[in-house]
Amino acid sequence: MSDNSQVTAEDVQERAGIDRSVRFPVMFFFTSAAVWLFVATLFGFLSALKLAVPALWADCQFLGYGRLFPAHMTALVYGWAMQAGIGVMLWLVARLTRVEMTKAKAVIVAGHVWNFAVGLAVFAIWIGKGRSIPWLDFPGWMWMLFALSYLMMVVWVIPMFRVRRTGDVYISEYYVIGAAVWFPWIFITANVLINRGAAPVMAAGAAGWFVTNLIYFWFAPIALAVAYYIVPKIAGRPIFSYPLAKLGFWTLAILAGWTGFQRFMGGPFPAWMPALSGAATLFILIAVVATCTNLLMTLKGRQKLWEYSPSLRFTMFGMLMFAIYGVLAGMSSFFSVGKVLQFSHFLVGLDTLAVYGFFSMTIFGAMYFIVPRVTGCEWVSGGMIRWHFWFSAYGILTLVGVMLVGGLAQGGNMADLDQRFAVSVGNSQGYVIGRICAWFLIGISNLWFVYQMGLMFLGKGRKSEGPTLIHGEPGKSAEAAAGLNPENA
Amino acid sequence: MNRKQLWKLLSGLGLAFGVPWFLMILIPYFQQATASPVPYSEEEGVDGFTVYPDPSYGTVGASDYGLKIYEREGCAYCHTQVVRPTYAGPDMWLGWGGGPETARETRPQDFAGEAFAHLGYQRIGQDLSNVGTRSTREELHRVLSDPGSVSTGSAMPSYRHLYRKTDSGWAPTGDAEALVDYLLSRKKDQPLPDSVR
Repeated sequence: MSDNSQVTAEDVQERAGIDRSVRFPVMFFFTSAAVWLFVATLFGFLSALKLAVPALWADCQFLGYGRLFPAHMTALVYGWAMQAGIGVMLWLVARLTRVEMTKAKAVIVAGHVWNFAVGLAVFAIWIGKGRSIPWLDFPGWMWMLFALSYLMMVVWVIPMFRVRRTGDVYISEYYVIGAAVWFPWIFITANVLINRGAAPVMAAGAAGWFVTNLIYFWFAPIALAVAYYIVPKIAGRPIFSYPLAKLGFWTLAILAGWTGFQRFMGGPFPAWMPALSGAATLFILIAVVATCTNLLMTLKGRQKLWEYSPSLRFTMFGMLMFAIYGVLAGMSSFFSVGKVLQFSHFLVGLDTLAVYGFFSMTIFGAMYFIVPRVTGCEWVSGGMIRWHFWFSAYGILTLVGVMLVGGLAQGGNMADLDQRFAVSVGNSQGYVIGRICAWFLIGISNLWFVYQMGLMFLGKGRKSEGPTLIHGEPGKSAEAAAGLNPENA
Repeated sequence: MNRKQLWKLLSGLGLAFGVPWFLMILIPYFQQATASPVPYSEEEGVDGFTVYPDPSYGTVGASDYGLKIYEREGCAYCHTQVVRPTYAGPDMWLGWGGGPETARETRPQDFAGEAFAHLGYQRIGQDLSNVGTRSTREELHRVLSDPGSVSTGSAMPSYRHLYRKTDSGWAPTGDAEALVDYLLSRKKDQPLPDSVR
């Protein structure tokens, strides 16, 4: 990472050129992701509502929980999270390699294919072509559309690293390259094995393995690449320890592939598989601790920036959620805890925590950083960013809280020999209401986000020299208050 | 990064992921895909069966179409199809293991003949591994068309779009019959040969 004090005018011009070269693909992905996020939130809210009040719209086949929930997860994972992540990835690659993107049009074409695939997948699930496989609900052949579109993008991304001009390799690049090459491998493996239909139980195992691998091999690397980029930038100093960053990276890379089978404790698998997966999930905590320590030490003494910089605030919140995810995933990997939480509401909370709490919040941070740079205008209002943050934060914390406590209650009831099964259903209904509230809060927060993103997409942002901050201090210009020099970024 | 550095990194990434991919996914998958049924020994008097799993396992009449309906309605999001051993949970105690004589935990071979084992995601409803041994066709139709009338406070939505309203109640369509066929085929209770027990 270059030292911020030596930023020259040429550097600034070069960065502006790089930003311009990725403007259209990045904004295309961000804006369509924001729209899908809103669709996903709506489905999430309706599915939670339907779970609490099953008699609602009893005659309408399109409003059953079994269709709304998979449609929600598909829109959230492929429509929002992956698209937003791809947008961030493109920008990061261009910036880190200092290469202008020349294939912007090809990437946008691939983006249209991706959006078409997501739309088709959500629609197909909704009208009754789903497969009841978490995160892989779309009809069997549709994986080819996703894979094709992704490969059409990545094929332009990887060569950019080879023509890279600067000498040193930054840790974010490791993560981005990792995410770029791991995803197709995981995705194609899971889909081909499931569609082959030769080994039913291992196909189910591969589906569970796909979920945790997508989290650890795609969501986590992209989010960590962002954090390792944003935190030093905003703090205005290099990362605390480079060896620690590498330790975190390789720990994650070596362990993540073994995870996934801890979801099937006591299931029809050889006992070593859930045990090994559980152990791997637990040891990933090393990567979590290394990364979070590194980021916090980088920020040490400058925590105040969190009050002003939207990018830093969202990113650090995302990293906090990463730590919580690591701990909860590790905790539920112990057989004694996992057997109780397995099949309970906890699982929904855990998956949503990964996608929304940890990944999405970090990506919001990246977006608040990237969008003004590629569009050349600033976010409309710090107040709206503040609302977006707090509603999202309370929403996701509510969701994780109720799903965790609800999961413990439900799982505890199910494990209790003296109670009928119906007791666990009745007792967990209250927590389902918490889930409705959480999606309501998240829905509200995303209204602000989609509105702002729409304005930025249309070029209707604020024309200003300085960035939009969450708070300004009275009597001082906002940038000076935060100690931020816009040229540093 | 130069070409050599990039290839070094890419092979590191490939190795880190390739090892678990090969050992955890590919080998077990193809082992399972090529496993052959286990014959019963001479002394075991098991009526009707010569091998475990029996070739007819997992398919009953129109259940292939019923499976499609099971999948499209997202049944597997709230219903599991796995009976865990007693050390993992009270599944057997809750009567999900099958009939009194044949009750046992789920084995991998129990899904033979199916394309995908719907082990499930959550348990908002009962486990369905052996729903065919404990329910009749009429009971299942009643649950599907009007869950509240069977168990009050049930979190299950109704699937009335699979039924037609008549004067006397809800008449099943072909889809509903197929789904119930599938549910009635859920019996994972074939006795195990001594050699795999």
